Amino acid sequence: MIDTLASGQLLFAALALGATYALVALGLNLVYGTMRLLNVAHGDLVMLGGYITYWAFALGGVSPLVSLLGTAVAAALLGVLAYRLLFRAMLGARGTGPRVEANSLLLFFGLSIVVQNLAALIFSPTPRGYEYLSDVLHFGNVALTGNRLAALLVAAALCLAVVLFLRWHTMGLAMRALMEHREAAAVVGVDIDRIQLASFAVGFGTAAVAGALVSMTEQVSPFMGFPFTVAAFVVIVMGGLGRLEGGMAAAFALGLLETYGVALTSTNWRSILLYGTFVALLLARPQGLFGRPAVMR
Amino acid sequence: MNPTRDLVVVLALLGASAIVPLMGGDYWIGVGISTFMWVALTQSWSLLSGLSGYVSLGHVVFYGLGTYIVVTSWEVVPIAVALALAAGAAAVFAFVTGMPVLRVRGPYFVILTFGIAELVKFVVMAAEAAAGNASRLILGTPQIETLFFLMLGLAAAATVLAWGVRVSRLGHGLRAIREDEEAAETLGVPVARYKLLAFVLSACIPGAVGGVMALRNTYFEPLQAFDPMISFSMIAMAVIGGSDDLRGPVVGTAFFVFLSEMLWANAPQVYMMMLGILLVLFVLFVPEGLCGRLFRARTA
Repeated sequence: MIDTLASGQLLFAALALGATYALVALGLNLVYGTMRLLNVAHGDLVMLGGYITYWAFALGGVSPLVSLLGTAVAAALLGVLAYRLLFRAMLGARGTGPRVEANSLLLFFGLSIVVQNLAALIFSPTPRGYEYLSDVLHFGNVALTGNRLAALLVAAALCLAVVLFLRWHTMGLAMRALMEHREAAAVVGVDIDRIQLASFAVGFGTAAVAGALVSMTEQVSPFMGFPFTVAAFVVIVMGGLGRLEGGMAAAFALGLLETYGVALTSTNWRSILLYGTFVALLLARPQGLFGRPAVMR
Repeated sequence: MNPTRDLVVVLALLGASAIVPLMGGDYWIGVGISTFMWVALTQSWSLLSGLSGYVSLGHVVFYGLGTYIVVTSWEVVPIAVALALAAGAAAVFAFVTGMPVLRVRGPYFVILTFGIAELVKFVVMAAEAAAGNASRLILGTPQIETLFFLMLGLAAAATVLAWGVRVSRLGHGLRAIREDEEAAETLGVPVARYKLLAFVLSACIPGAVGGVMALRNTYFEPLQAFDPMISFSMIAMAVIGGSDDLRGPVVGTAFFVFLSEMLWANAPQVYMMMLGILLVLFVLFVPEGLCGRLFRARTA
Protein backbone atom coordinates (compact mmCIF):
# COMPACT_ATOMS: atom_id res chain seq x y z
CA MET A 1 0.00 0.00 0.00
CA ILE A 2 2.69 2.44 1.02
CA ASP A 3 4.64 1.45 -2.09
CA THR A 4 1.73 2.38 -4.31
CA LEU A 5 1.21 5.69 -2.56
CA ALA A 6 4.86 6.62 -2.66
CA SER A 7 5.33 5.64 -6.29
CA GLY A 8 5.82 8.38 -8.84
CA GLN A 9 3.20 6.72 -10.96
CA LEU A 10 0.31 7.78 -8.78
CA LEU A 11 1.64 11.30 -8.53
CA PHE A 12 1.91 11.40 -12.27
CA ALA A 13 -1.66 10.17 -12.71
CA ALA A 14 -2.80 12.90 -10.31
CA LEU A 15 -0.93 15.53 -12.28
CA ALA A 16 -2.44 14.38 -15.56
CA LEU A 17 -5.93 14.42 -14.07
CA GLY A 18 -5.28 17.85 -12.56
CA ALA A 19 -4.15 19.27 -15.90
CA THR A 20 -7.32 17.99 -17.57
CA TYR A 21 -9.47 19.52 -14.84
CA ALA A 22 -7.59 22.80 -15.17
CA LEU A 23 -8.30 22.90 -18.87
CA VAL A 24 -11.99 22.08 -18.42
CA ALA A 25 -12.35 24.66 -15.65
CA LEU A 26 -10.67 27.32 -17.72
CA GLY A 27 -13.47 27.40 -20.27
CA LEU A 28 -16.19 27.31 -17.66
CA ASN A 29 -14.48 30.14 -15.81
CA LEU A 30 -14.37 32.28 -18.96
CA VAL A 31 -18.04 31.86 -19.82
CA TYR A 32 -19.14 32.33 -16.23
CA GLY A 33 -16.78 35.21 -15.64
CA THR A 34 -17.75 37.29 -18.64
CA MET A 35 -21.49 36.60 -18.67
CA ARG A 36 -22.46 35.08 -15.33
CA LEU A 37 -23.81 32.10 -17.22
CA LEU A 38 -23.34 28.82 -15.43
CA ASN A 39 -22.83 26.36 -18.24
CA VAL A 40 -23.92 23.00 -16.84
CA ALA A 41 -23.54 21.55 -20.33
CA HIS A 42 -19.82 22.28 -20.22
CA GLY A 43 -18.91 18.67 -19.48
CA ASP A 44 -20.91 17.54 -22.49
CA LEU A 45 -18.44 19.38 -24.68
CA VAL A 46 -15.74 17.24 -23.13
CA MET A 47 -17.83 14.27 -24.20
CA LEU A 48 -18.28 15.62 -27.75
CA GLY A 49 -14.56 16.31 -28.06
CA GLY A 50 -13.90 12.75 -26.97
CA TYR A 51 -16.25 11.35 -29.61
CA ILE A 52 -14.86 13.48 -32.43
CA THR A 53 -11.38 12.26 -31.58
CA TYR A 54 -12.53 8.68 -31.26
CA TRP A 55 -14.24 8.63 -34.64
CA ALA A 56 -11.40 10.42 -36.37
CA PHE A 57 -9.08 7.76 -35.02
CA ALA A 58 -11.37 4.76 -35.53
CA LEU A 59 -12.57 5.66 -39.03
CA GLY A 60 -9.75 7.72 -40.49
CA GLY A 61 -6.82 6.59 -38.42
CA VAL A 62 -6.11 10.22 -37.57
CA SER A 63 -3.83 10.66 -34.59
CA PRO A 64 -5.64 12.34 -31.67
CA LEU A 65 -2.88 14.90 -31.44
CA VAL A 66 -3.55 15.89 -35.04
CA SER A 67 -7.36 15.89 -34.92
CA LEU A 68 -7.09 18.07 -31.84
CA LEU A 69 -7.12 21.20 -33.94
CA GLY A 70 -10.20 20.22 -35.89
CA THR A 71 -11.95 19.24 -32.66
CA ALA A 72 -11.21 22.62 -31.14
CA VAL A 73 -12.46 24.50 -34.19
CA ALA A 74 -15.65 22.42 -34.42
CA ALA A 75 -16.46 23.02 -30.76
CA ALA A 76 -15.65 26.72 -31.02
CA LEU A 77 -18.09 26.99 -33.93
CA LEU A 78 -20.69 25.23 -31.80
CA GLY A 79 -20.04 27.86 -29.14
CA VAL A 80 -20.54 30.65 -31.66
CA LEU A 81 -23.77 29.04 -32.79
CA ALA A 82 -25.07 28.58 -29.24
CA TYR A 83 -24.26 32.17 -28.37
CA ARG A 84 -25.82 33.64 -31.49
CA LEU A 85 -28.96 31.53 -31.49
CA LEU A 86 -29.78 31.13 -27.82
CA PHE A 87 -27.95 33.42 -25.48
CA ARG A 88 -27.34 36.73 -27.18
CA ALA A 89 -30.98 37.77 -27.21
CA MET A 90 -31.36 36.90 -23.55
CA LEU A 91 -28.21 38.71 -22.49
CA GLY A 92 -28.68 41.62 -24.84
CA ALA A 93 -31.49 43.68 -23.42
CA ARG A 94 -30.81 43.87 -19.72
CA GLY A 95 -27.41 42.35 -19.29
CA THR A 96 -27.12 39.84 -16.49
CA GLY A 97 -29.37 39.46 -13.49
CA PRO A 98 -30.86 36.75 -11.30
CA ARG A 99 -33.64 36.06 -13.80
CA VAL A 100 -31.26 35.65 -16.73
CA GLU A 101 -28.99 33.50 -14.60
CA ALA A 102 -31.81 31.17 -13.62
CA ASN A 103 -33.22 30.98 -17.14
CA SER A 104 -29.85 30.41 -18.73
CA LEU A 105 -29.21 27.60 -16.27
CA LEU A 106 -32.42 25.88 -17.33
CA LEU A 107 -31.45 26.51 -20.93
CA PHE A 108 -28.06 24.90 -20.48
CA PHE A 109 -29.69 21.99 -18.70
CA GLY A 110 -32.10 21.50 -21.55
CA LEU A 111 -29.23 21.57 -24.01
CA SER A 112 -27.21 19.17 -21.91
CA ILE A 113 -30.05 16.63 -21.93
CA VAL A 114 -30.49 17.03 -25.67
CA VAL A 115 -26.78 16.61 -26.42
CA GLN A 116 -26.38 13.60 -24.11
CA ASN A 117 -29.35 11.77 -25.51
CA LEU A 118 -28.51 12.65 -29.07
CA ALA A 119 -25.06 11.17 -28.47
CA ALA A 120 -26.61 8.06 -26.92
CA LEU A 121 -28.92 7.74 -29.90
CA ILE A 122 -26.24 8.16 -32.56
CA PHE A 123 -23.23 6.54 -30.90
CA SER A 124 -25.12 4.05 -28.68
CA PRO A 125 -24.56 4.17 -24.91
CA THR A 126 -21.70 1.64 -25.08
CA PRO A 127 -18.39 3.16 -23.92
CA ARG A 128 -15.78 3.35 -26.63
CA GLY A 129 -12.01 3.48 -26.46
CA TYR A 130 -8.93 3.10 -28.60
CA GLU A 131 -5.25 2.40 -28.15
CA TYR A 132 -2.88 5.21 -28.88
CA LEU A 133 0.62 5.76 -27.49
CA SER A 134 -0.18 3.13 -24.91
CA ASP A 135 3.39 1.86 -24.64
CA VAL A 136 4.83 2.10 -21.17
CA LEU A 137 7.75 4.45 -20.75
CA HIS A 138 10.18 4.31 -17.86
CA PHE A 139 11.72 7.33 -16.23
CA GLY A 140 13.81 6.15 -13.31
CA ASN A 141 11.37 4.15 -11.22
CA VAL A 142 8.32 5.88 -12.69
CA ALA A 143 6.42 3.90 -15.28
CA LEU A 144 3.89 5.76 -17.37
CA THR A 145 2.12 5.49 -20.68
CA GLY A 146 2.90 7.84 -23.54
CA ASN A 147 -0.70 8.95 -23.97
CA ARG A 148 -0.87 10.14 -20.37
CA LEU A 149 2.31 12.10 -20.80
CA ALA A 150 1.03 13.62 -24.04
CA ALA A 151 -2.27 14.56 -22.39
CA LEU A 152 -0.48 16.22 -19.51
CA LEU A 153 1.82 18.18 -21.80
CA VAL A 154 -0.89 19.34 -24.19
CA ALA A 155 -3.26 20.33 -21.39
CA ALA A 156 -0.56 22.25 -19.56
CA ALA A 157 0.60 23.99 -22.73
CA LEU A 158 -2.94 25.00 -23.63
CA CYS A 159 -3.62 26.33 -20.12
CA LEU A 160 -0.46 28.35 -20.35
CA ALA A 161 -1.43 29.66 -23.77
CA VAL A 162 -4.83 30.83 -22.49
CA VAL A 163 -3.25 32.49 -19.47
CA LEU A 164 -0.79 34.33 -21.71
CA PHE A 165 -3.62 35.29 -24.04
CA LEU A 166 -5.58 36.78 -21.17
CA ARG A 167 -2.56 38.59 -19.88
CA TRP A 168 -1.11 40.07 -23.06
CA HIS A 169 -3.57 39.96 -25.93
CA THR A 170 -5.97 42.89 -26.33
CA MET A 171 -8.96 40.59 -26.53
CA GLY A 172 -7.76 38.69 -23.49
CA LEU A 173 -7.46 41.92 -21.58
CA ALA A 174 -10.97 42.87 -22.66
CA MET A 175 -12.24 39.52 -21.35
CA ARG A 176 -10.67 40.19 -18.00
CA ALA A 177 -12.12 43.67 -17.97
CA LEU A 178 -15.57 42.18 -18.54
CA MET A 179 -15.04 39.78 -15.65
CA GLU A 180 -14.00 42.56 -13.32
CA HIS A 181 -16.61 45.14 -14.13
CA ARG A 182 -19.08 44.89 -16.94
CA GLU A 183 -20.32 48.48 -17.05
CA ALA A 184 -16.88 49.98 -16.74
CA ALA A 185 -15.64 47.77 -19.56
CA ALA A 186 -18.46 48.99 -21.77
CA VAL A 187 -17.69 52.60 -20.88
CA VAL A 188 -14.07 52.32 -21.95
CA GLY A 189 -15.12 50.91 -25.28
CA VAL A 190 -14.96 47.13 -24.95
CA ASP A 191 -17.18 45.54 -27.59
CA ILE A 192 -19.13 43.38 -25.16
CA ASP A 193 -20.97 41.34 -27.77
CA ARG A 194 -17.75 40.36 -29.50
CA ILE A 195 -16.00 39.46 -26.27
CA GLN A 196 -18.91 37.33 -25.13
CA LEU A 197 -18.86 35.53 -28.45
CA ALA A 198 -15.13 34.94 -28.12
CA SER A 199 -15.58 33.62 -24.57
CA PHE A 200 -18.11 31.09 -25.80
CA ALA A 201 -15.80 30.03 -28.61
CA VAL A 202 -12.71 29.70 -26.42
CA GLY A 203 -14.66 28.06 -23.59
CA PHE A 204 -16.26 25.46 -25.83
CA GLY A 205 -13.06 24.85 -27.77
CA THR A 206 -10.87 24.20 -24.73
CA ALA A 207 -13.45 21.86 -23.23
CA ALA A 208 -13.52 19.81 -26.42
CA VAL A 209 -9.73 19.62 -26.47
CA ALA A 210 -9.84 18.36 -22.89
CA GLY A 211 -12.27 15.71 -24.12
CA ALA A 212 -9.88 14.71 -26.88
CA LEU A 213 -7.13 14.27 -24.30
CA VAL A 214 -9.38 12.30 -21.97
CA SER A 215 -10.33 9.95 -24.81
CA MET A 216 -6.68 8.95 -25.20
CA THR A 217 -6.59 7.43 -21.72
CA GLU A 218 -10.20 6.64 -20.88
CA GLN A 219 -13.27 5.34 -22.67
CA VAL A 220 -15.84 7.84 -23.91
CA SER A 221 -19.57 7.46 -23.31
CA PRO A 222 -22.57 9.74 -23.84
CA PHE A 223 -23.13 10.46 -20.15
CA MET A 224 -19.50 11.00 -19.11
CA GLY A 225 -19.75 14.78 -19.13
CA PHE A 226 -21.39 15.83 -15.91
CA PRO A 227 -18.63 14.79 -13.50
CA PHE A 228 -16.32 17.06 -15.49
CA THR A 229 -18.72 19.96 -15.05
CA VAL A 230 -18.80 19.30 -11.32
CA ALA A 231 -15.02 19.04 -11.13
CA ALA A 232 -14.73 22.32 -12.99
CA PHE A 233 -17.13 23.97 -10.53
CA VAL A 234 -15.04 22.74 -7.63
CA VAL A 235 -11.94 24.13 -9.27
CA ILE A 236 -13.50 27.53 -9.88
CA VAL A 237 -14.94 27.78 -6.39
CA MET A 238 -11.52 27.02 -4.90
CA GLY A 239 -9.57 29.12 -7.35
CA GLY A 240 -11.74 32.15 -7.87
CA LEU A 241 -13.19 34.11 -10.74
CA GLY A 242 -10.78 35.18 -13.44
CA ARG A 243 -7.94 33.87 -11.31
CA LEU A 244 -6.81 31.26 -13.70
CA GLU A 245 -3.55 30.59 -11.87
CA GLY A 246 -5.50 29.96 -8.66
CA GLY A 247 -7.78 27.70 -10.65
CA MET A 248 -4.85 25.67 -11.87
CA ALA A 249 -3.52 25.15 -8.36
CA ALA A 250 -7.03 24.08 -7.34
CA ALA A 251 -7.27 21.70 -10.29
CA PHE A 252 -4.07 19.94 -9.26
CA ALA A 253 -5.27 19.80 -5.67
CA LEU A 254 -8.48 18.12 -6.84
CA GLY A 255 -6.51 15.76 -9.06
CA LEU A 256 -4.37 14.76 -6.09
CA LEU A 257 -7.38 14.37 -3.80
CA GLU A 258 -9.25 12.21 -6.25
CA THR A 259 -6.31 10.04 -7.29
CA TYR A 260 -4.99 9.41 -3.79
CA GLY A 261 -8.48 9.19 -2.35
CA VAL A 262 -9.38 6.42 -4.77
CA ALA A 263 -6.05 4.68 -4.19
CA LEU A 264 -6.70 4.68 -0.44
CA THR A 265 -10.32 3.53 -0.64
CA SER A 266 -11.83 2.02 -3.78
CA THR A 267 -13.14 3.16 -7.15
CA ASN A 268 -16.65 3.23 -5.68
CA TRP A 269 -15.52 6.26 -3.75
CA ARG A 270 -14.44 8.32 -6.69
CA SER A 271 -17.81 9.99 -7.25
CA ILE A 272 -18.43 10.32 -3.52
CA LEU A 273 -15.16 12.21 -3.14
CA LEU A 274 -15.91 14.47 -6.08
CA TYR A 275 -19.49 15.31 -5.16
CA GLY A 276 -18.66 15.45 -1.45
CA THR A 277 -15.98 18.05 -2.08
CA PHE A 278 -18.38 19.97 -4.27
CA VAL A 279 -21.21 20.02 -1.72
CA ALA A 280 -18.87 20.84 1.16
CA LEU A 281 -17.35 23.74 -0.75
CA LEU A 282 -20.65 25.31 -1.69
CA LEU A 283 -21.94 24.95 1.86
CA ALA A 284 -18.78 26.58 3.17
CA ARG A 285 -19.13 29.45 0.70
CA PRO A 286 -22.87 30.06 0.37
CA GLN A 287 -22.34 33.37 -1.40
CA GLY A 288 -21.38 31.33 -4.39
CA LEU A 289 -18.21 31.38 -6.27
CA PHE A 290 -17.09 34.88 -5.53
CA GLY A 291 -17.51 36.79 -2.32
CA ARG A 292 -17.03 40.15 -3.96
CA PRO A 293 -20.52 41.51 -4.45
CA ALA A 294 -19.33 45.12 -4.77
CA VAL A 295 -17.39 44.20 -7.88
CA MET A 296 -20.08 41.96 -9.24
CA ARG A 297 -22.78 44.58 -9.54
CA MET B 1 -55.67 33.58 -10.49
CA ASN B 2 -58.03 31.80 -8.18
CA PRO B 3 -56.33 28.97 -6.31
CA THR B 4 -59.49 27.64 -4.73
CA ARG B 5 -61.30 27.32 -8.06
CA ASP B 6 -58.17 25.67 -9.50
CA LEU B 7 -58.15 23.26 -6.56
CA VAL B 8 -61.73 22.23 -7.28
CA VAL B 9 -60.94 21.73 -10.97
CA VAL B 10 -57.84 19.62 -10.31
CA LEU B 11 -59.50 17.52 -7.60
CA ALA B 12 -62.52 16.95 -9.85
CA LEU B 13 -60.21 15.74 -12.61
CA LEU B 14 -58.37 13.44 -10.23
CA GLY B 15 -61.68 12.17 -8.82
CA ALA B 16 -63.03 11.47 -12.29
CA SER B 17 -59.95 9.43 -13.14
CA ALA B 18 -60.85 7.04 -10.29
CA ILE B 19 -63.08 5.17 -12.75
CA VAL B 20 -60.08 4.10 -14.84
CA PRO B 21 -59.62 0.74 -13.03
CA LEU B 22 -63.27 -0.08 -13.73
CA MET B 23 -62.93 0.57 -17.43
CA GLY B 24 -59.40 -0.07 -18.58
CA GLY B 25 -56.97 -2.91 -18.19
CA ASP B 26 -53.61 -2.95 -16.51
CA TYR B 27 -52.11 -0.78 -19.23
CA TRP B 28 -54.39 2.15 -18.49
CA ILE B 29 -54.02 1.67 -14.77
CA GLY B 30 -50.28 1.89 -15.28
CA VAL B 31 -50.65 5.08 -17.29
CA GLY B 32 -52.79 6.44 -14.46
CA ILE B 33 -50.13 5.60 -11.87
CA SER B 34 -47.41 7.38 -13.77
CA THR B 35 -49.68 10.37 -14.40
CA PHE B 36 -50.50 10.69 -10.69
CA MET B 37 -46.87 10.19 -9.78
CA TRP B 38 -45.81 13.12 -11.93
CA VAL B 39 -48.69 15.29 -10.74
CA ALA B 40 -47.69 14.63 -7.13
CA LEU B 41 -43.99 15.23 -7.78
CA THR B 42 -44.43 18.32 -9.91
CA GLN B 43 -46.98 19.80 -7.53
CA SER B 44 -44.56 19.29 -4.63
CA TRP B 45 -41.67 20.75 -6.59
CA SER B 46 -43.72 23.82 -7.55
CA LEU B 47 -44.64 24.37 -3.93
CA LEU B 48 -41.01 25.16 -3.22
CA SER B 49 -39.46 26.24 -6.50
CA GLY B 50 -42.42 27.80 -8.26
CA LEU B 51 -43.32 29.93 -5.26
CA SER B 52 -39.97 30.82 -3.75
CA GLY B 53 -37.81 30.87 -6.88
CA TYR B 54 -35.36 28.46 -5.25
CA VAL B 55 -35.10 26.02 -8.14
CA SER B 56 -34.36 22.55 -6.82
CA LEU B 57 -32.65 20.25 -9.26
CA GLY B 58 -32.28 17.50 -6.70
CA HIS B 59 -35.83 16.57 -5.78
CA VAL B 60 -35.17 13.00 -6.86
CA VAL B 61 -33.23 12.60 -3.63
CA PHE B 62 -36.50 12.58 -1.66
CA TYR B 63 -38.08 10.15 -4.09
CA GLY B 64 -35.03 7.91 -3.96
CA LEU B 65 -34.87 7.95 -0.16
CA GLY B 66 -38.54 6.99 -0.01
CA THR B 67 -37.87 4.12 -2.38
CA TYR B 68 -34.91 2.97 -0.35
CA ILE B 69 -36.83 3.09 2.94
CA VAL B 70 -39.71 1.01 1.61
CA VAL B 71 -37.41 -1.57 0.03
CA THR B 72 -35.19 -1.97 3.07
CA SER B 73 -38.12 -2.17 5.47
CA TRP B 74 -40.05 -4.62 3.30
CA GLU B 75 -41.61 -7.43 5.35
CA VAL B 76 -40.29 -5.73 8.48
CA VAL B 77 -43.04 -3.19 8.96
CA PRO B 78 -46.54 -2.95 7.41
CA ILE B 79 -46.80 -1.07 4.13
CA ALA B 80 -48.68 1.88 5.64
CA VAL B 81 -45.95 2.35 8.22
CA ALA B 82 -43.26 2.00 5.58
CA LEU B 83 -44.86 4.67 3.42
CA ALA B 84 -45.20 7.00 6.38
CA LEU B 85 -41.55 6.35 7.18
CA ALA B 86 -40.64 7.12 3.56
CA ALA B 87 -42.38 10.49 3.73
CA GLY B 88 -40.92 11.13 7.17
CA ALA B 89 -37.37 10.27 6.13
CA ALA B 90 -37.61 12.62 3.17
CA ALA B 91 -38.94 15.38 5.42
CA VAL B 92 -36.20 14.84 7.99
CA PHE B 93 -33.55 14.83 5.29
CA ALA B 94 -34.97 18.10 3.93
CA PHE B 95 -35.02 19.61 7.41
CA VAL B 96 -31.43 18.66 8.21
CA THR B 97 -29.94 19.63 4.86
CA GLY B 98 -32.29 22.58 4.37
CA MET B 99 -30.74 24.81 6.99
CA PRO B 100 -27.30 25.06 5.36
CA VAL B 101 -28.48 24.50 1.78
CA LEU B 102 -31.10 27.24 1.72
CA ARG B 103 -28.50 29.87 2.55
CA VAL B 104 -27.10 29.28 -0.91
CA ARG B 105 -28.86 31.29 -3.57
CA GLY B 106 -29.66 31.47 -7.24
CA PRO B 107 -27.77 29.22 -9.64
CA TYR B 108 -25.62 27.89 -6.81
CA PHE B 109 -28.67 26.56 -5.05
CA VAL B 110 -29.67 24.80 -8.26
CA ILE B 111 -26.37 23.00 -8.77
CA LEU B 112 -25.95 22.36 -5.05
CA THR B 113 -29.26 20.51 -4.86
CA PHE B 114 -28.18 18.50 -7.88
CA GLY B 115 -24.83 17.74 -6.27
CA ILE B 116 -26.47 16.58 -3.05
CA ALA B 117 -28.80 14.24 -4.91
CA GLU B 118 -25.88 12.73 -6.80
CA LEU B 119 -23.84 12.45 -3.61
CA VAL B 120 -26.64 10.57 -1.85
CA LYS B 121 -27.02 8.33 -4.90
CA PHE B 122 -23.35 7.36 -4.81
CA VAL B 123 -23.38 6.89 -1.04
CA VAL B 124 -26.38 4.55 -1.32
CA MET B 125 -24.62 2.71 -4.15
CA ALA B 126 -21.49 2.29 -2.05
CA ALA B 127 -23.56 1.15 0.94
CA GLU B 128 -25.42 -1.39 -1.19
CA ALA B 129 -22.18 -2.60 -2.73
CA ALA B 130 -20.63 -2.95 0.72
CA ALA B 131 -23.67 -4.96 1.81
CA GLY B 132 -23.26 -7.13 -1.27
CA ASN B 133 -26.43 -6.08 -3.11
CA ALA B 134 -26.36 -4.96 -6.70
CA SER B 135 -30.11 -4.59 -6.60
CA ARG B 136 -32.96 -5.71 -4.37
CA LEU B 137 -36.12 -7.52 -5.28
CA ILE B 138 -39.31 -7.37 -3.24
CA LEU B 139 -42.03 -9.97 -3.55
CA GLY B 140 -45.71 -9.96 -2.72
CA THR B 141 -46.38 -6.29 -3.33
CA PRO B 142 -49.99 -5.07 -3.40
CA GLN B 143 -52.13 -5.29 -6.51
CA ILE B 144 -51.86 -2.65 -9.18
CA GLU B 145 -55.35 -1.29 -8.35
CA THR B 146 -54.29 -0.61 -4.78
CA LEU B 147 -51.21 1.22 -5.99
CA PHE B 148 -53.37 3.19 -8.40
CA PHE B 149 -55.53 4.51 -5.57
CA LEU B 150 -52.53 5.11 -3.32
CA MET B 151 -50.91 7.23 -5.99
CA LEU B 152 -54.18 8.99 -6.74
CA GLY B 153 -54.39 9.86 -3.07
CA LEU B 154 -50.85 11.22 -3.11
CA ALA B 155 -51.57 13.36 -6.18
CA ALA B 156 -54.66 14.75 -4.45
CA ALA B 157 -52.75 15.30 -1.20
CA ALA B 158 -49.96 17.12 -3.01
CA THR B 159 -52.49 19.33 -4.75
CA VAL B 160 -54.30 20.15 -1.52
CA LEU B 161 -50.98 20.86 0.19
CA ALA B 162 -49.89 23.12 -2.64
CA TRP B 163 -53.23 24.92 -2.45
CA GLY B 164 -52.99 25.31 1.31
CA VAL B 165 -49.55 26.85 1.03
CA ARG B 166 -50.60 29.18 -1.76
CA VAL B 167 -53.53 30.70 0.11
CA SER B 168 -51.67 30.99 3.42
CA ARG B 169 -49.24 33.53 4.83
CA LEU B 170 -46.49 31.08 3.96
CA GLY B 171 -47.36 31.23 0.26
CA HIS B 172 -47.41 35.01 0.21
CA GLY B 173 -44.15 35.10 2.11
CA LEU B 174 -42.55 32.70 -0.38
CA ARG B 175 -43.67 34.82 -3.30
CA ALA B 176 -42.19 37.86 -1.59
CA ILE B 177 -38.91 35.95 -1.21
CA ARG B 178 -39.02 35.09 -4.90
CA GLU B 179 -39.44 38.73 -5.91
CA ASP B 180 -36.88 40.23 -3.54
CA GLU B 181 -35.51 38.34 -0.57
CA GLU B 182 -33.88 41.33 1.14
CA ALA B 183 -37.04 43.41 0.85
CA ALA B 184 -39.12 40.54 2.20
CA GLU B 185 -36.81 40.17 5.18
CA THR B 186 -36.90 43.90 5.86
CA LEU B 187 -40.70 43.81 5.87
CA GLY B 188 -40.67 41.12 8.53
CA VAL B 189 -41.15 37.93 6.52
CA PRO B 190 -39.43 35.18 8.53
CA VAL B 191 -37.37 34.28 5.49
CA ALA B 192 -35.25 31.44 6.85
CA ARG B 193 -38.18 29.73 8.59
CA TYR B 194 -40.49 30.00 5.57
CA LYS B 195 -37.89 28.62 3.18
CA LEU B 196 -37.15 25.69 5.44
CA LEU B 197 -40.84 24.97 5.96
CA ALA B 198 -41.46 25.01 2.21
CA PHE B 199 -38.46 22.74 1.65
CA VAL B 200 -39.74 20.19 4.16
CA LEU B 201 -43.31 20.34 2.85
CA SER B 202 -42.15 19.86 -0.73
CA ALA B 203 -40.05 16.85 0.30
CA CYS B 204 -42.48 14.61 2.16
CA ILE B 205 -44.86 13.67 -0.67
CA PRO B 206 -42.05 12.82 -3.11
CA GLY B 207 -40.76 10.51 -0.37
CA ALA B 208 -44.08 8.67 -0.23
CA VAL B 209 -44.32 8.65 -4.04
CA GLY B 210 -40.93 6.98 -4.18
CA GLY B 211 -42.20 4.40 -1.70
CA VAL B 212 -45.23 3.56 -3.81
CA MET B 213 -43.07 3.34 -6.93
CA ALA B 214 -40.83 0.85 -5.14
CA LEU B 215 -43.91 -1.33 -4.67
CA ARG B 216 -44.85 -0.85 -8.31
CA ASN B 217 -41.40 -1.67 -9.70
CA THR B 218 -40.83 -4.45 -7.11
CA TYR B 219 -37.11 -3.94 -7.30
CA PHE B 220 -34.59 -1.37 -6.25
CA GLU B 221 -31.51 -0.22 -8.04
CA PRO B 222 -29.85 3.02 -6.86
CA LEU B 223 -29.10 4.30 -10.36
CA GLN B 224 -32.80 4.16 -11.19
CA ALA B 225 -34.22 5.27 -7.87
CA PHE B 226 -31.95 8.33 -7.83
CA ASP B 227 -32.00 8.97 -11.57
CA PRO B 228 -31.38 12.72 -12.04
CA MET B 229 -33.75 12.61 -14.99
CA ILE B 230 -36.60 12.40 -12.49
CA SER B 231 -35.61 15.80 -11.08
CA PHE B 232 -35.17 17.14 -14.55
CA SER B 233 -38.59 15.91 -15.66
CA MET B 234 -40.26 17.61 -12.69
CA ILE B 235 -38.75 20.92 -13.73
CA ALA B 236 -39.60 20.50 -17.38
CA MET B 237 -43.20 19.59 -16.58
CA ALA B 238 -43.59 22.47 -14.17
CA VAL B 239 -41.98 25.05 -16.44
CA ILE B 240 -44.06 23.93 -19.41
CA GLY B 241 -47.28 23.74 -17.43
CA GLY B 242 -46.61 26.94 -15.51
CA SER B 243 -45.01 26.72 -12.10
CA ASP B 244 -46.99 29.28 -10.12
CA ASP B 245 -50.39 27.81 -10.82
CA LEU B 246 -52.14 24.77 -9.31
CA ARG B 247 -53.23 23.59 -12.74
CA GLY B 248 -49.75 23.95 -14.20
CA PRO B 249 -48.40 20.59 -13.00
CA VAL B 250 -51.50 18.82 -14.32
CA VAL B 251 -51.20 20.43 -17.74
CA GLY B 252 -47.46 19.75 -17.95
CA THR B 253 -47.85 16.19 -16.71
CA ALA B 254 -50.67 15.30 -19.05
CA PHE B 255 -48.60 16.52 -21.96
CA PHE B 256 -45.52 14.56 -20.98
CA VAL B 257 -47.23 11.34 -19.98
CA PHE B 258 -48.81 11.31 -23.41
CA LEU B 259 -45.41 11.90 -25.00
CA SER B 260 -43.72 9.34 -22.82
CA GLU B 261 -46.30 6.64 -23.52
CA MET B 262 -45.58 7.09 -27.20
CA LEU B 263 -41.81 7.19 -26.93
CA TRP B 264 -40.46 5.91 -23.62
CA ALA B 265 -40.54 2.19 -24.34
CA ASN B 266 -39.22 2.35 -27.90
CA ALA B 267 -37.09 5.47 -27.95
CA PRO B 268 -36.28 6.76 -24.47
CA GLN B 269 -33.52 8.94 -25.85
CA VAL B 270 -35.90 10.62 -28.26
CA TYR B 271 -38.25 11.25 -25.35
CA MET B 272 -35.53 12.86 -23.26
CA MET B 273 -34.46 14.95 -26.23
CA MET B 274 -38.00 16.19 -26.74
CA LEU B 275 -38.10 17.07 -23.05
CA GLY B 276 -34.87 19.05 -23.39
CA ILE B 277 -35.91 20.82 -26.59
CA LEU B 278 -39.30 21.75 -25.16
CA LEU B 279 -37.68 23.08 -22.01
CA VAL B 280 -35.32 25.24 -24.07
CA LEU B 281 -38.15 26.56 -26.21
CA PHE B 282 -40.37 27.32 -23.24
CA VAL B 283 -37.61 29.07 -21.30
CA LEU B 284 -36.88 31.19 -24.36
CA PHE B 285 -40.38 31.99 -25.52
CA VAL B 286 -42.97 31.13 -22.86
CA PRO B 287 -41.17 31.46 -19.50
CA GLU B 288 -44.46 31.75 -17.62
CA GLY B 289 -45.61 28.34 -18.87
CA LEU B 290 -48.79 27.23 -20.61
CA CYS B 291 -51.08 28.13 -17.72
CA GLY B 292 -49.56 31.56 -17.31
CA ARG B 293 -49.90 32.18 -21.03
CA LEU B 294 -53.50 30.99 -21.23
CA PHE B 295 -54.44 32.92 -18.16
CA ARG B 296 -52.96 36.14 -19.43
CA ALA B 297 -54.53 35.72 -22.84
CA ARG B 298 -57.95 35.46 -21.23
CA THR B 299 -57.68 38.55 -19.10
CA ALA B 300 -55.95 40.70 -21.69
